[in-house]
Amino acid sequence: MTMKSPDGADRGEVDRMNEEKDKTVILLQGSMLALNVAAVILISTFIYYTTEKIIYRYDARSFLDGVTAIPKNPENVMHTCIIAAVFLIVSFLFRQIVKKYQLMICSMLFDLVLCFMVIYTLNFNYNGLLLFLFATMISLVKGGKVKVALVALAIGGYVLADYELLSIYMPLYHLNSYIQYYPASTQQIFYGVFNILISLNVVLFIIYCVYVINAQRGTIEQINELYHEIQTANEQLQEYASMTEKMTQTKERNRLAREIHDTLGHTLTGIATGLDACLALIDISPEQTKKQLKLLSDVSREGIKDVRRSVNELRPDALERLSLDAAIRKMIIDMSQASDVKIYFSTEEKHLKFDEDEENAIYRVIQESITNAVRHGKAGKIWITLKRQNDMILLSIKDNGIGAKEIKSGFGTKHIKERIEMLHGTVSFDGSDGFTVTAEIPIRWGENYD
Amino acid sequence: MKRKQSIMMAVAGILVAGLSAYGICHVHLRKNITLEFGMFTGSNWDVAQANSFTIIDKAIAKFEHAHPGVTVHYYSGIRKDDYSEWFSRKLLAGEEPDIFMVLGTDFNQFASMGVMKNLETFIEEDTDFEPEKYFTSAFVSGQYESVQYALPYETVPTLMFVNKTLLTQEGIDMPEENWTWEDFYEICKKVTRDTDGDGVPDQFGSYNYDWMDALCSNGGGVFNKKGTEAALTDSRVVEAVKYVRSINDLYGGEKLTQEDFNGGRVAFMPLTFAEYRTYKTYPYKIRKYANFQWDCVTMPAGEQGGNISQVDSLLMGISANTKEEKLAWEFLKLLTYDEESQMNIFYDSQGASVLKTVTESQQMEQVVQEDMEEGDTVINGKLLGRVIEEGHVEPQFKKYEQAMSLTDSEINKILEEDKDVDSNLKILQRTINEYLIQ
Repeated sequence: MTMKSPDGADRGEVDRMNEEKDKTVILLQGSMLALNVAAVILISTFIYYTTEKIIYRYDARSFLDGVTAIPKNPENVMHTCIIAAVFLIVSFLFRQIVKKYQLMICSMLFDLVLCFMVIYTLNFNYNGLLLFLFATMISLVKGGKVKVALVALAIGGYVLADYELLSIYMPLYHLNSYIQYYPASTQQIFYGVFNILISLNVVLFIIYCVYVINAQRGTIEQINELYHEIQTANEQLQEYASMTEKMTQTKERNRLAREIHDTLGHTLTGIATGLDACLALIDISPEQTKKQLKLLSDVSREGIKDVRRSVNELRPDALERLSLDAAIRKMIIDMSQASDVKIYFSTEEKHLKFDEDEENAIYRVIQESITNAVRHGKAGKIWITLKRQNDMILLSIKDNGIGAKEIKSGFGTKHIKERIEMLHGTVSFDGSDGFTVTAEIPIRWGENYD
Repeated sequence: MKRKQSIMMAVAGILVAGLSAYGICHVHLRKNITLEFGMFTGSNWDVAQANSFTIIDKAIAKFEHAHPGVTVHYYSGIRKDDYSEWFSRKLLAGEEPDIFMVLGTDFNQFASMGVMKNLETFIEEDTDFEPEKYFTSAFVSGQYESVQYALPYETVPTLMFVNKTLLTQEGIDMPEENWTWEDFYEICKKVTRDTDGDGVPDQFGSYNYDWMDALCSNGGGVFNKKGTEAALTDSRVVEAVKYVRSINDLYGGEKLTQEDFNGGRVAFMPLTFAEYRTYKTYPYKIRKYANFQWDCVTMPAGEQGGNISQVDSLLMGISANTKEEKLAWEFLKLLTYDEESQMNIFYDSQGASVLKTVTESQQMEQVVQEDMEEGDTVINGKLLGRVIEEGHVEPQFKKYEQAMSLTDSEINKILEEDKDVDSNLKILQRTINEYLIQ
């Protein structure tokens, strides 16, 4: 618990940073979109307006002398560009609203089609849209190969969709021929505006790329840092665990020694001394000896009681504090929480109260079986039933895991077998449908050593 | 699942509805198709023409009869001088007609811009269509970079106008069809003299016979086929320019005008077949050349060529953006390939048909004869056919118009300023080549 709280704080920080990053990314993408939409609309409107002007002034034929091609219909070009621009904006907003990845990819592909349509309609006079497309792609597409392929496509497109290059192969109209229709001073203004638009777009794109790369590098560094911390914490924990284990072992040994010394030692010493006395007395006074032996018997019974109490001290935590039923239920809850497995426990017996060694055995068998089911069987569900049949307790632990074709000892079954056999019970395993452990344990109902 | 299905159904429904609506509209629209035809009023060869719409109206009536539901519309009243601008404006606005006349000065520019539809597929797929029926020179003039973009509608060769009265006065026979530069020079030399005794020649051999006329009859051309290089240092060009200089030298530096010819003081003048037909017939006959007898003959042959002259054809093309390309092709074929329409050129226009069978037919001779005086000899169909078929066509490339006008003005300068032909042609060759590769 002490390690978890700084960890949680870090995660919160990362989330906050991601959110901040997203905001900047969206802002940059939005500005690129705005710029591109402005450029596309400006160019198409400019071409339309200039055409109208040429027609109005009866300069058409001399204008045609200086061009390699003209748009099919400048008005349609303008309308197409404006409609496509509107759709691009809608698609961009759509991406901000929906959070579903598939929908975002669909909208990006829609953008791809729109952008190529506009670029084609404008006869490759303006291909800055590809940079916007490219920017959207890097932020959206996950998965290395697809990303690389799309990025290659976008860059390839940007390089190949160049007016000068393509105009060798097909007649394309050129924005410059429309600009050149105007007097030189006006031309300079138009060229200036056009070049500013292109440069701004490239600058925005570079800022965007630098930002995304930096953000990515930041995230990687953060992850590395966190990983490092976890590693250290893990090592510490392992150290603590082994230390605790050693300490517990020592403590336990000391306690056992003291216990043995206090109880068994005391009793056995008493018995040994008493027996020595008996040996001395037996010839002199058998009656006295008998008395003495009766006393020794009492002492040894007392000793057994003490031993039992000592053993009681060594029982599992839960069993020590709780009844068997409650202990089993607690274990199930703990296990379910720890391993995401559903465990069902049913018993008809109202009062599960047996001798301690029996309770221990039942508890340990259940614990061991659940561990096996989760670890080896990869089970999702476990059913435990406990019922009484004559003098026997029938215990069955069944899971829906992968089971086992052959039951190998050492698969955790050895312990179970040993524990049950110690109580003169029988146990069988079946790995054909999930894995089932069935144990029959004879119970000493009401038997008493007192 | 159910929701998904209903969405799919809705999308499918919309698609089906849209398609059927489109289908209905299409069928509906097909019933009322209008083909736009772009043409100018008057003659392509700048001769007076009173009834330029007659042929087109006849063709349209025939076409509309054969294709019910189709109307052909043309804009009337655009003069030839305004046509190029009118068409360019239509083109810029994306409203160009489906089929249109293309001026020779526009053809290269428009073809390079992809304004006209590539006709190769139509020609290949149309089994009725045989390009061999056209005069080669006329057919080739519709090609740009070896691709057919337009078909010739009317063609006009250049002929030599002969003042028969003057030749008779001087005791010279009418030249033969296969006469040569030498014959031409000899006649010019004989005819050029001072008749009123003021010491200055006032009767001349020729007017307006220029280096291009000489070059065509000497088998040469100004540019190579692709328009990447000029051929001005070629011996045929050099000979032609030198020959024109030698003719000009006969006139002792006198500047001749059209008036000299009209006044009957010049023996020869190149003129188009259109002019021949116009001024041979009533009423224009009276206005010009009324005081002498005249006739036509082929151009004199150069040493390396034949009796060949320039052939100029009026072209028609289909818009690259037409929605009715099949119909447009049919109409284009009707105008340029249909023998009846083509024969009407002889009735109602001044040029010649682009189809060999029509131009070389007896009927053509009869038509031309009708308006002429009895004493006039009619140019015979076979000869006219040969002149057109073998006619000289300049290669078509984008810079042709500019390069040609530059070359022409420079060569005229060489002739006028009496510069050395060989060296100046070499210099000009370099200049033009530089311009062509720019």
